Amino acid sequence: MLNSTTTNISEFSPVMQSPLHPFGLTSKQEKVNDGKGVWANEIPLLGYISLRGNSQNAAFVNAVNSALNVALPTQACSMSYTAWGSILWLSPDEWLITCKRDQRASLQGALETALADIHSQVVDNSGGYTTVLLKGKNASEVLHHCTVYDLNMLQAGKVVGTTFGKLNFYLHQHEDGYYLVFRRSFADYIWRYLERSALPYGFGIAQLNDGL
Amino acid sequence: MFVIKCPHCFEAREEEEFSYGGEAFVARPTSPETESEESWGDYLFMKRNPKGWHWEMWGHSTGCRKFFVLKRNTANHTTVGAWTLAEARKIYDAEEATA
Ligand SMILES: [Zn+2]
Repeated sequence: MLNSTTTNISEFSPVMQSPLHPFGLTSKQEKVNDGKGVWANEIPLLGYISLRGNSQNAAFVNAVNSALNVALPTQACSMSYTAWGSILWLSPDEWLITCKRDQRASLQGALETALADIHSQVVDNSGGYTTVLLKGKNASEVLHHCTVYDLNMLQAGKVVGTTFGKLNFYLHQHEDGYYLVFRRSFADYIWRYLERSALPYGFGIAQLNDGL
Repeated sequence: MFVIKCPHCFEAREEEEFSYGGEAFVARPTSPETESEESWGDYLFMKRNPKGWHWEMWGHSTGCRKFFVLKRNTANHTTVGAWTLAEARKIYDAEEATA
């Protein structure tokens, strides 16, 4: 039952917080240096759009390509980086589109308009995911502690869904960093797992300039 | 532990990424309402459970999350291949016809 002392709904102003907000990463970040082997940080509050459709259907692929102005990666485990973010292949009929939070609405709108008459699904999943960037000279070693995937197989332009401890996540590599994309509710487990795995190498919170 | 090549991801991955989905191509009775209790029970519980080659379903739970079919030797974990359900059906039917 609602309590009469509950804040009036008109005064309710929700605050957007990233899943790793409780770790206070922003206040702990420092300039990357040689003193530590592993550097990580959350890329907080990105926009995430789930896209589903039949990649064998040329009308679907063409509509997506024109809406996003970039070719949809239809090859298994492939992905593309775009001016506004990235498109990850998740399965033969599913993709995850990441972008800056404030671009999510326009991208989603463009997709919905282009796909109006085509069997497909476009869903805003921005509240459901977050991304961690992992770099440093021992980043691969740390990931090897966390996943069963053979990281030698992870070339640029590839994304894999695999295990992280007891959970699953999506992993891709770009320039000198690994990007770990996972469900919001996994954030606490994954961050603590990374911290502990990185103990032998030295673990630092990196300053983030990447806006991927 | 063994390695499975997912027919959707086209890559060999650790068994840990997958989950077992039971015997493949078990035909569901077309009208469960009129099925006798005995034959419905057989459908639910009586599996081939062979020692040797077995057609089974697996799900790529941490990857593409698709189900597919694997032909595995239950005695030593060797596998012949993994196919999508549609591809495997043809091979399975051909094999059953000659068995
Ligand atoms: Zn797969």
